[in-house]
Amino acid sequence: MASQGRRGGVSLPDRPSNSSSVLAKISRSSIVVRGKEAAGDAAFVAKKLLRSTGKAAWIAGTTFLVLVVPLIVEMDREQQLNDLELQQASLLGTPAPK
Amino acid sequence: MATTVLPPPPPPPAAVETVVDFFNLPCPIPFEELHREAMMSLKPDLFEGMRFDFTKMLNQKFTLNHSVLMGPTEIPSQSTETIKIPTAQYEFGSTFIDHPRLLLWGRILTDGRLNARVKCDLSENLTFKANAQLTNEPHMSHGMFNFDYKGKDYRSQFQLGNGALLGASYIQSVTQHLSLGGEVFWAGQHRKSGIGYAARYNTEKMVATGQVASTGMVLLSYVQKVSEKVSLASEFMCNYLSRDVTASFGYDYILRQCRLRGKVDSNGCVAAFLEERLNMGLNFILSAELDHRKKDYKFGFGLTVGE
Repeated sequence: MASQGRRGGVSLPDRPSNSSSVLAKISRSSIVVRGKEAAGDAAFVAKKLLRSTGKAAWIAGTTFLVLVVPLIVEMDREQQLNDLELQQASLLGTPAPK
Repeated sequence: MATTVLPPPPPPPAAVETVVDFFNLPCPIPFEELHREAMMSLKPDLFEGMRFDFTKMLNQKFTLNHSVLMGPTEIPSQSTETIKIPTAQYEFGSTFIDHPRLLLWGRILTDGRLNARVKCDLSENLTFKANAQLTNEPHMSHGMFNFDYKGKDYRSQFQLGNGALLGASYIQSVTQHLSLGGEVFWAGQHRKSGIGYAARYNTEKMVATGQVASTGMVLLSYVQKVSEKVSLASEFMCNYLSRDVTASFGYDYILRQCRLRGKVDSNGCVAAFLEERLNMGLNFILSAELDHRKKDYKFGFGLTVGE
């Protein structure tokens, strides 16, 4: 990389080639390579995690929609019916059942 | 469960708090209806598409039945993907009940299938039942005759079917709550025979049943009646030979205006069945079944008129 920079930048002063070589050195250093790998892995895991979480949320949501929502609606209706009956009973003066 | 099936030696009467009156035990329920409560909660007749049922009572004894079902039906295939073709069928049926001695029941579908049932009380204790399923396809028709004998604290049944099928079952009340039973069958056409045992324990609050058979089937069920309106059911089914295991859990709400049943099972299948009473003799049905594993979603709605 450094030799290439020197060959290509004949008219250029030494500074950019110098800095690029520093950059290259940095980018070639093991810590950066390791970091890049780690970042790649993290991104992969995060993507997978996100996808599986989404799937789980989807399954949980649809299950909830099928199993629990009708139950809530029907319980509410039953409660309303009971209340209405109680109200009517108290209005008519007859003792409420139960 | 096999250990509980073996009749335990009767405990000395002094050991138990309430002395069991062994000569005055209740009659057990029939062997084939052993899992009745669990089946009622966990196996509603789910359907896909639209259905319309109309029942007309002509007189006290005679009832006519019309039913239309439209929707996709699954056709069995080797591949894992389910193939569905849209179908529509009409079913005509009639029922004759001479209560409580005689019952005649018949259903015929537009594709040529016919179901017929006869139930007849020959004497006070002996009941004769016949069941026939006829189709156009060869070798798919079935016929079955049952003789049930109901004793004071036991029931026995003898079965005779086509394809040289013979079967017998016996169930006996052992204590006030516990009943034990067994069955044997022999299918001559398939050269198979088997033996099975079952136990059932029921109180007012709960019902627990267990059944094992030499075909490798183990079935355990438990139903808890939480209150008058609510019952919770669970079932564990396992086939030792084919290695499939299913556990399911369900609820059953019987409210004033509706009945709602829901279940989840270990195959990733979620189902709910709602019967809503709109008016006297007018019921609205909603059925939903989600199979997350197969990505097979079935929804249905229907109307039941009459009764």
